[in-house]
Amino acid sequence: MVEASLIVLGVMALFALSSTIATYLAITERNLVKAVLYSAIQSTLYALIYYLLMAPDIVLVYVPVSVGLYPAIVLMLIKKTEKEES
Amino acid sequence: MRRLLGLLVIVLFITLFALVIASGGFGYEVPPSRVRELARQFLVYAYNPFNTTFTVKSPEAVTSIVWDFRGLDTLFETLVFYLAIIGALSLYRGIESGKRAEVISLGLSPIVKTVTKLTAGIIITVAASIALHGHLTPGGGFQGGATAAVAPLLILIVFSKYFLENLGLRKNVLLALRSIGLLGIGVTAFSALIIGLAAGSPAYVFQNQPKPDAPVGLPVHIGDSLISGTLWFFNFFEMFAVAAGFTVIFLLLGIPEGEVLKQLREEVGEH
Repeated sequence: MVEASLIVLGVMALFALSSTIATYLAITERNLVKAVLYSAIQSTLYALIYYLLMAPDIVLVYVPVSVGLYPAIVLMLIKKTEKEES
Repeated sequence: MRRLLGLLVIVLFITLFALVIASGGFGYEVPPSRVRELARQFLVYAYNPFNTTFTVKSPEAVTSIVWDFRGLDTLFETLVFYLAIIGALSLYRGIESGKRAEVISLGLSPIVKTVTKLTAGIIITVAASIALHGHLTPGGGFQGGATAAVAPLLILIVFSKYFLENLGLRKNVLLALRSIGLLGIGVTAFSALIIGLAAGSPAYVFQNQPKPDAPVGLPVHIGDSLISGTLWFFNFFEMFAVAAGFTVIFLLLGIPEGEVLKQLREEVGEH
C-alpha cells in the first residue's frame, strides 16, 4: 500500500512536468491564440499545484487571474493586433 | 520535429534533476519535515491574546502577514497596481467610448445570456465572501477583487461593452471607485495614529492592535463579529480598488480598434 502523501507528491510532480511542457509549447507556438491557451493550461496546473502545496490564498488569486482575467486581456490584445507571430 | 526534440530534452533534464534532489544529492532533505522558525513565529503570533506586542488577533496567518507584519509592502504593491492601471489609462487618453441606446440585440445567444445573468451574481457573492472573510479564512482583498472582476468581464463578453456601460459601470465611475478604495486603504493605515492623536497617546502609522508603548488600536470585534482591527477594512477597500482597476482596463480594451484609430487620426489631424 502506497502512502497517501507520496501519491500527492507524485501528482504534484506530474502537474509540474506537464506545466513545463505547456510553457515550452506556449513559447515556441507561432499562433498566438494557441499560445495563450497553452499558457492558460500552465497556469491552471500551477493553481492545482498551489492547492496541493496547501497555499489556498494563492489558489484563490491564481484561479481568477490565470484562468479568467489574463487570457481574456491577452486575447483582446491579440484581436487588436495580429494572430500570427511573424 | 525540432520542437519535439527540445521538449524531450527539457523533460529528461527536469526528471533527472528532480531525481538527484529528491535522493539527497545536494545534502539536504526535500521537502523539509520541520516548520521553519520564522513560519512558527507567524503561526504563534497571528492569533495570540496573551502576547500584546506582536499579535494581530486574526486566525488567518497569511492575511496577518500581508496586512500587518509586512503591511507596508502590501501598501506599495497596491500602489504599483494603481500606477500600472494609470499607465494603461494614459495610452487611451482622450478616446471616447461610443454610445448606443439599443444594446439588447448585441452579444451572444439568449442561452448564454441567461446563464451569465445567474453566474454573475454568484461570482460577486463568492468574491464578497472571499474578501470580507479574508481575516478568517483563506482569501483577502486582492483575491476577492480579482474574483469580482470576472463578473463584469463575463458581462462584457457575453452581452457587450455598451450593456456594461448602460448598467452604470462607466470609466469615470470605476476610476472614482478605485480611487476611493486607495483612499480608504490610506485612511486605514493612518487610523490608529489619528485615534492616538485624538486620545493624546503615542501611536504608530500602520498600527493595528494596541502595543505596550502605544496603547491605542482598532477594535477586534464589532458586535459579535471578529474583524481583527484594520485587516477587515484593508480587505474591503482593496477589493474595490482591484475590481474597479481590472474592469476599467476591460472597458478600455473593449473599445473597437477601428474607433480608437479613427479618434487618434482626428487628433493628429487637428495639430
